[in-house]
Amino acid sequence: MTNKKVIEIKHLIKSYGLKGFQTPVLKGIDLTVYQHDFISIMGPSGSGKTTLLNILSSIDKPTKGTVLLDGKDITKMKNKEMSKLRRDKIGFVFQDYNLLDTLTLRDNIALPLSLNGASGKTCLQKTGELAEMFGLSSHLDKYPYQLSGGQKQRGATCRALITDPEIIFADEPTGALDSKSSKDLMQCLQSVNEQKKATILMVTHDSYCASYAKDVFILKDGLIQCKLSQGTDRKDFFDRIVNTQSSIGGDFS
Amino acid sequence: MSLWKLAFQNFRKQFKNYLALILSQAFSISILLNFQYLRFSDSLAVLGEQNQNQLDVLVNVISVILICFMFFFVWYSTNVFLKKRKKEIGIFVFMGLTNQKIGQLYMIECFITGILTTGIGIVFGIMTTQLFQMILLRLSDISIELNFQFIPKPILLTLLIYLVIYLFFILSGYISIVRSNVLDLVNTNRKNEFVKQNSFSLISKTILGIVLLGVGFYFATKDGGIEVISNLLLAVILVVFGTYFILGGLVPLIFQKLAKQKLFLYKNQRVLWINNMIFRMQRNYRTYAIVSVLMLSAVTALATGFSMKTRYDNIMHFRNTYTYQVFSVRSDLEDEIDSLIEKDNDIVVKSTTPLLFLSDNKGVLSYSNLKALAKESRQEFSLKEPKDKEVIAVSQLHLLSLITDLSDIKVEINDESYTQIDETSIPYMGYLQEITEFFMVNDQDYQKLLDQGQQYYTYNYRISDIYNFAASNDELESIISDQEDTFTGRVTIDPDNKETEWVKILYSLCIFMFIVFIQASGSVLFMKNYEDGLEERERYGVLKKMGINGKALRLSIAKEQTFTYLFPFILMSFSSYFSIHALEKLMYANLLPVNIVSVLIILGFLLFCYIVSVFSYFKTVDV
Repeated sequence: MTNKKVIEIKHLIKSYGLKGFQTPVLKGIDLTVYQHDFISIMGPSGSGKTTLLNILSSIDKPTKGTVLLDGKDITKMKNKEMSKLRRDKIGFVFQDYNLLDTLTLRDNIALPLSLNGASGKTCLQKTGELAEMFGLSSHLDKYPYQLSGGQKQRGATCRALITDPEIIFADEPTGALDSKSSKDLMQCLQSVNEQKKATILMVTHDSYCASYAKDVFILKDGLIQCKLSQGTDRKDFFDRIVNTQSSIGGDFS
Repeated sequence: MSLWKLAFQNFRKQFKNYLALILSQAFSISILLNFQYLRFSDSLAVLGEQNQNQLDVLVNVISVILICFMFFFVWYSTNVFLKKRKKEIGIFVFMGLTNQKIGQLYMIECFITGILTTGIGIVFGIMTTQLFQMILLRLSDISIELNFQFIPKPILLTLLIYLVIYLFFILSGYISIVRSNVLDLVNTNRKNEFVKQNSFSLISKTILGIVLLGVGFYFATKDGGIEVISNLLLAVILVVFGTYFILGGLVPLIFQKLAKQKLFLYKNQRVLWINNMIFRMQRNYRTYAIVSVLMLSAVTALATGFSMKTRYDNIMHFRNTYTYQVFSVRSDLEDEIDSLIEKDNDIVVKSTTPLLFLSDNKGVLSYSNLKALAKESRQEFSLKEPKDKEVIAVSQLHLLSLITDLSDIKVEINDESYTQIDETSIPYMGYLQEITEFFMVNDQDYQKLLDQGQQYYTYNYRISDIYNFAASNDELESIISDQEDTFTGRVTIDPDNKETEWVKILYSLCIFMFIVFIQASGSVLFMKNYEDGLEERERYGVLKKMGINGKALRLSIAKEQTFTYLFPFILMSFSSYFSIHALEKLMYANLLPVNIVSVLIILGFLLFCYIVSVFSYFKTVDV
């Protein structure tokens, strides 16, 4: 682990509703993500996972607190600046893949890089490398409707990685996948983290998937309740996550 | 909740989305109503029965074209309703509604839209009838007092036509819903399979398109006799289908090939818009083909109008070459006629010539006589003297000439065959040229023919004030004789003659049709793009979430739209050259300037539609 801070969240508060009738969702989150981290955020329904991710990815604004991405406070950024930041520093993996159905897998993966003005040669080369890594080389000329869910999600992950973002936000990436495809995807994410030194922040309710992360933060009632670190054995980590979940209680599905 | 209430709610929610469709249908109703009004009102009666009969035929032809428009608009709109409804209606299936009930829901919604459309169309139509007629007559340079008339017949007829078309499509939509299964209903809008098309089928379509266009152009420009008109019809049909196949084959083929060149594709947003074009082209090429044909019709309509107008002006000029024409067996009348006319008028042009009138109603002129006449009447003369057994036709100007191949026609003069080597329509013989077939032969042939017919002398005069023609009319009456040895006749031309007034109206109608055609093509493209925008919303949402910047997305949209507008335009410009060329041959007129101007007008209008379309697209997909 290096010491470069990618994200620094300081006393983040988010409430919904009108003044006087506010429902607090995040009640003061402090979290720092360093370069090459692989963090999983878990929590029961309503714990504020999605709200946290939305604020981090600049889709939502916090009520109070600061979020520093690469040293800049994203809560005070203007739209144009924010758009540039999203383009250059952040990669997204969504639960429902969000591949464009009119493009082949190759074009889908190359899209962000190509629209950022990279040369055709670079686009092709990087697409090829990532596809190789994610086991998609033989599917590059297929359209999304010709791919399985797992292949689509791996493709979407390649797309998120192609611009070499500072951090990847993954929102329930295995939410729509079967267990085999989930495992494949998580292994891919793990190897990206280890080999390409990508920084990943993932929100999930699945303990098995969470166990691939290096650190797991468990969120409940708008606060981080505890942090678990993987150690040496993934299976042991998985057991610890499940045990912590049951001790905390609540619906994690 | 009752079906009616549900349908009404659906309609209210979607009203904004359907406004363009409703207005386009209402517009087609208004225009048709205006034309029906023209047919049933008595505004054109003042032009005389003969003109009115001609115009009735015209209005009927235009009405048929407008009904085709209406058919298309209704087809298109109900199809959009059906597609949207099918997707939303899928949800109702899970609520336990039967297909029949869902079909009824669709019919009720269409019924509400239909009432609104007819309401707007008819009211707007009635409101504009007088304006329309006023503009039409003003353009035609005809002054008639117009009064507002409320005539139920055209309104009922328009309503009936619209309702029949509308009911036909609603019923077919209903049947389509009743027959479809649940899965289809739910998945209608999600089917984005077959993005790419089979290259073989695209190449076949391209070849077919090129062949059809080629053969079409060949027929459009082929010279020929009376079969020209059927050639032209054939050409129109071939060009329409050729356009259809080119847009459905060649264009997607080019884009698919481009999409394979990744080094080319991954530059300047091409990855987004070229892929989008491939996807859209497959669904929209029929619409683009229709737009192409609509624009082609616009250019042709304008060119027809202009050539008719030019021809009309020519005919007027033809008739007014001389004010009086006296023809007589006597050769010594010149001085007498001069003095008779000069009592009340000043002579500006005067010419005399002998001519031979044969028993088969043909007039024969000799080369030297005609040359002398041309000099006297200060008209151009560049004809060569025909050889023996050769003639040059000195003929009238026709409004429409179907025979485009004029060389080597055999002419029978008094049972002897002559070869026609040329034709002129310079008005040497004035009005007489309009009512008699004249042929010019060389002087020797003329001499030979002399004893086979009766030689007359014509005395042609043009006065300085042609509107004062009546003054000398009575004076000239004194020389008229029907005795065989002194036979003398006279023709007087009234410059205010209304016999061919209908041509002037035709000219304005053509301009009007030009406007209707380009308006229709612009709005069809605009509607199509608007509908595409609605469909693309989700995709652009994803792109925005991915952090793709707005500028890149806007550029990509602008480029995609450029091609959407450009393809039908290019195809039209290309085809219009041929259609106008064919028309030029038919009308004996130089229509290239009209062609260029009308193409430029369309370009301007499309540019306007394009800009509105692009900004509306930005708004629809929110970038």
